[in-house]
Amino acid sequence: MTKEEQLFKAKIPGPETGIEIRRTMCDICTPGAHCGVNAYVKDGRLLKVEGTPGYPGSNGKLCTKGAANRQYIYRKDRILSPMVRTGPKGSDEFRQATWEEALTLIADNLKKIKAESDPDSIVWYTGYSKWYRPWLKRLCHSFGGHNYMTESSTCYKSGWMASNLIFGSNTRPDMGGNPQLIVGWGSNPYINAYLGGRGYAACKAAGVKIIIIDVRRTQASEKLADLYLRPRIGTDGVLAHAMAKVILDNGWQDQPFLDQYVLGFAEYRDMVSQYDLDTAERITGVPKEDIYRAARMIAEAKPCSVSTNTGITHHKNGLNTCRAILALNVITGNVDKPGGILPTTDTFLEMGAGFETREEEFIFETRTPERLPLVGQKRFPLWYDMNHDGQAMDLTRHILTEDPYPIRALAAFGMNTRMFPQTSQLLKALEKLDFMFATDLFWTDACRYADVILPACSSFERGEVKCYPGGFMSYTQQAIDRVGDCRSDVEIIAQLAKRLDTGDELLMQGYDACIRYIFEGNEEELTEARRTGIPVRSKMARPTPPGSYLANGANTPSGKLELYSIRIANLDPETGLDPLPVWFDGDNDCDKEEYPFTLMAGARIPNAIHSRCHNVPWLRSLRPDPMVDIHPEDAKSLGISQGDLVAVSTTVAALRLRANLTLTANRGELHMFHGYEEANANELVPNTENDPYSGFPSFKQIRCRIEKDAADSNGAAAQEERGGKQHAL
Amino acid sequence: MRYKITFDEAKCVACGACAVACMDQNDIQAEEGQLPLRRTFTKESRLHPEETFGYYSHACEHCDDAPCIPACPSGCLFKDPDTGFTVFDTTNCIGCRSCAFACPHGAPTMGLDGKMLKCDGCSQRVKAGLLPACVAVCPFDALTLEESYNP
Repeated sequence: MTKEEQLFKAKIPGPETGIEIRRTMCDICTPGAHCGVNAYVKDGRLLKVEGTPGYPGSNGKLCTKGAANRQYIYRKDRILSPMVRTGPKGSDEFRQATWEEALTLIADNLKKIKAESDPDSIVWYTGYSKWYRPWLKRLCHSFGGHNYMTESSTCYKSGWMASNLIFGSNTRPDMGGNPQLIVGWGSNPYINAYLGGRGYAACKAAGVKIIIIDVRRTQASEKLADLYLRPRIGTDGVLAHAMAKVILDNGWQDQPFLDQYVLGFAEYRDMVSQYDLDTAERITGVPKEDIYRAARMIAEAKPCSVSTNTGITHHKNGLNTCRAILALNVITGNVDKPGGILPTTDTFLEMGAGFETREEEFIFETRTPERLPLVGQKRFPLWYDMNHDGQAMDLTRHILTEDPYPIRALAAFGMNTRMFPQTSQLLKALEKLDFMFATDLFWTDACRYADVILPACSSFERGEVKCYPGGFMSYTQQAIDRVGDCRSDVEIIAQLAKRLDTGDELLMQGYDACIRYIFEGNEEELTEARRTGIPVRSKMARPTPPGSYLANGANTPSGKLELYSIRIANLDPETGLDPLPVWFDGDNDCDKEEYPFTLMAGARIPNAIHSRCHNVPWLRSLRPDPMVDIHPEDAKSLGISQGDLVAVSTTVAALRLRANLTLTANRGELHMFHGYEEANANELVPNTENDPYSGFPSFKQIRCRIEKDAADSNGAAAQEERGGKQHAL
Repeated sequence: MRYKITFDEAKCVACGACAVACMDQNDIQAEEGQLPLRRTFTKESRLHPEETFGYYSHACEHCDDAPCIPACPSGCLFKDPDTGFTVFDTTNCIGCRSCAFACPHGAPTMGLDGKMLKCDGCSQRVKAGLLPACVAVCPFDALTLEESYNP
């Protein structure tokens, strides 16, 4: 091999190889990290990725998924051109179309349905990615509609609601404010948000005490925890209330803080008084000594933060459990103080960067008054009251029953049907629609039900603005050639705005014009960030000193921190929602002997985010088979060995997949990652088991049973023979 | 100058980012069953009540006195004079796997072309002033590149 060949094989950038490093950003997971990427590019093609050193937050690092960007972008199932369906819904029978033909078809159908019925008989749904959400929502509004809904109907928003009910604001633990104790409830930051994992690890190294509370043993419980509590699935609320009772019974609460800033303390105290340690131990399975010890640590550590995470929200009692957990910060007075829980203000795309933008104005200025109740408005009144969006978890029911009116069309941007409980019911509903179009990077189940499909592109194939804590904003540019004839989501939205006769001049002008409208006052920063590919600090950024939020009165109806929610109290009493964060049993109604196990779907694994990474061979190779995690003793009693084929059944469905024996699962509990085509865990979750407060499905608490598949004699050996033996996780 | 890729078990969570970065760097064809040259492992010890979890990342150790080098009948393996990594030129590899048998760590594997393949410490990258791919990506700094002066 010549010297040049060696350098090229090693992908060394420089004039000898012609490999250039271009700056871009990873958009595989949610808003939050958006790690800076150095793309190694030659002739417009991506050869390798690496983190960008010095980038805000990620600072040169990438996670397991981000490291696989090249295979993700060049996935074999990328959609290469617009497509029009020729076969039955749900089939793979499509023909190629031009953009002109596809966009015209979409516009003609939507305009016809709008004229015949109502703009709100058209649903605008978006899943991943999330960068274009303000644009899509504005398009919905400009077209006269309101039935906009997102995948946040199952993710993030319930925790946001819980925080807003108490604090009047979203909140975050102040890891950098010299806390004495951090309580990560349902948190495995090493795997679900590695930047958070770095933060935890840094705190640990600095001597901060850490309590991890999780139904699973995880990297966090093993590496971080000074104290690890393991409640049974769905009983976290009892655990939180019992800790509160210990704190209050011992007079460890911050009474001056409660007197000055808090509403509903007496009612709250009354409610938690029923959760004595014996009751709590019986319900949660956590030894009462550990509950007492955790409560004492939380009360004594000043400052301390107790944070809750998305997994907690995926229960029928999820939102109230989040409130119960967050209330511990209130009674100990650790709110709006360094090292405690800090209120946050969003700058752009649900990321707080310490300055204001015109994002809300951009989204809402073309919205007209509502005429019809939105999807889920009646069933989930608190969701509607706080979000004024549709709750997508009622979409399946709404389409199938036409109650209270028919939904005729669906604009499905990045829709992952496997994010919906009992997915097959949603697919039935999609079959009923008069018209549906989908945009996506990849062939998905939703695409197969669409009349028209438009190919979207990855973050490497377009530019976009992102904000980062500390006042930073980045503005990337296209780094590689586009795959096939794809376009960016916002280009698609701008073209639709024109063809749908919205008259929305700003939207039609495209991304850059809208960004300059939203980021008014930051024009120089935008230009500089775009030119250099490096995030620039906004001159409008101002730190919010802890204490300033409460000094001005909390943004709740009462102006106080509400342990008793006035917002909920003001809802129609017929909703049956309790202003206090009461705990109730989230177990689904079925024969407990027939379904002795509890299934938790969706606890994170490092090599997947929903279903987007399952078809990336590098990532899939780390854990090739969909598997159900089961405690070794439970497996033994059922005659199940590692790799055996098993059937997992609930009241609504059954799946066959491989067993993985692991101590990460508690006795009586099973864990499955979701989104696999051949084993869709969420199909097992009944479409009726939702949190009445948030509408979130009970993905993480469903009764089930597990049996060894009689036809499978030697699981592990067969698994290995098929080349499916996992080599990493 | 000689280099070592060091591994700090206390910081590793076996997330697999190093393995994926290795696959990206080395164009590993996972769909063909090819394994990365660095792999991660989670080891559960189930001896109740001492139930423990261990998280590991492992690749070629680049031993000072590498037994794979003399084991190769074709002289494919050698020490890179600039980095001290155990590197290879498999032009003459006959696929006999003697290197793999000699290695106490199971580092050498066979590529899809039937020739030996192993971690070369990203020696070209290190010579160009860059970090090995696995070290650069490691989200928790469990892998580091260390310089050592070995006479």
